[in-house]
Amino acid sequence: MIRNLSDQSQDFIAGVRDVTPLAFGVAIYGLAFGLLAAQAGMDGMQTGVMGAVVFAGSSQIVAVERIVAGAGAYAALIAGIALNLRIFLITASLRSEFKERPLWQMLLGVHLAGDENWALLHAKRAGGGKAGYWYLVGAGLCLMLVWLLTTVSGASFAQALPEPRALGLDFAFAAAFIAILRSLCRRASDVLPWGFSIAASATLVLLTPIEPSWALALGGALGAGVAGVWSHA
Amino acid sequence: MLEHWWVIAGLAVATFSIRLSGYLVGARLPTDGGWARAFNALPGCLIAALLTVILIQGEWQEWGAAGIALSIAVVTRSLPATMIVGVLAVWILRNFV
Repeated sequence: MIRNLSDQSQDFIAGVRDVTPLAFGVAIYGLAFGLLAAQAGMDGMQTGVMGAVVFAGSSQIVAVERIVAGAGAYAALIAGIALNLRIFLITASLRSEFKERPLWQMLLGVHLAGDENWALLHAKRAGGGKAGYWYLVGAGLCLMLVWLLTTVSGASFAQALPEPRALGLDFAFAAAFIAILRSLCRRASDVLPWGFSIAASATLVLLTPIEPSWALALGGALGAGVAGVWSHA
Repeated sequence: MLEHWWVIAGLAVATFSIRLSGYLVGARLPTDGGWARAFNALPGCLIAALLTVILIQGEWQEWGAAGIALSIAVVTRSLPATMIVGVLAVWILRNFV
């Protein structure tokens, strides 16, 4: 490590480095999303602007898929928003990172907060590593860059691309979240609230007509609530 | 084309509002006791719920690959290794089993 590098730069670089394997997953999703955007009649410019201002891959995919399905703008918007409800809980859990920062840093960090960099930050800390605001921002900017490059290329060169599912690449994020969950497990009692989250979201998805994205957010909140109420968790 | 711009603008405003309000609400809650425990548990709970929803929507190939990926994660604690083995496992199970 270079000697004069400040703590912030080191944190930033560590974020970029740690997110690299996930950036490959994001690249695959980016190309797939670009393909979908092309089917919806979006050009490279619209795809790029959407990636920069929304920056929430799964909701972009769902919203544009609704457009392709002919569901109309309103339905597309509602579906995309529903999928992003979980981000409320993500930024809520980042409160200590953003507190007492200049407004622009808070707004930047909030905009860059997503599943991957947020989960990595917590996993790194659970493993005893140091990771703070600039770790989140470094990883987030790296993902933003990859997302923009791949979605715009996907939209522009739609015909030349293979289908990710045929190669098993659609499973990349599920595998990544399994690894991250493993590193979040510090002691056996950590797992108990997760059990409530798993049971609640599974019950909601299987037994009620509720949208999976609501089931996910409710299940996550319920598990956290159990941890809050049960003082041994 | 105009419809696309409306969806992009609407989704951008809504998503940023969700992100910002999550932080603003979180920052106003107590930093100790039950609320702190809940916030500490939140990442794991949310990821566990996310995986549950993903796997319910999958089939036996995804469940098998998830089991294999989990054993790799438990043994190696490595993110890249878990991703590579998980993707390989699901590809093999879907195409050759």
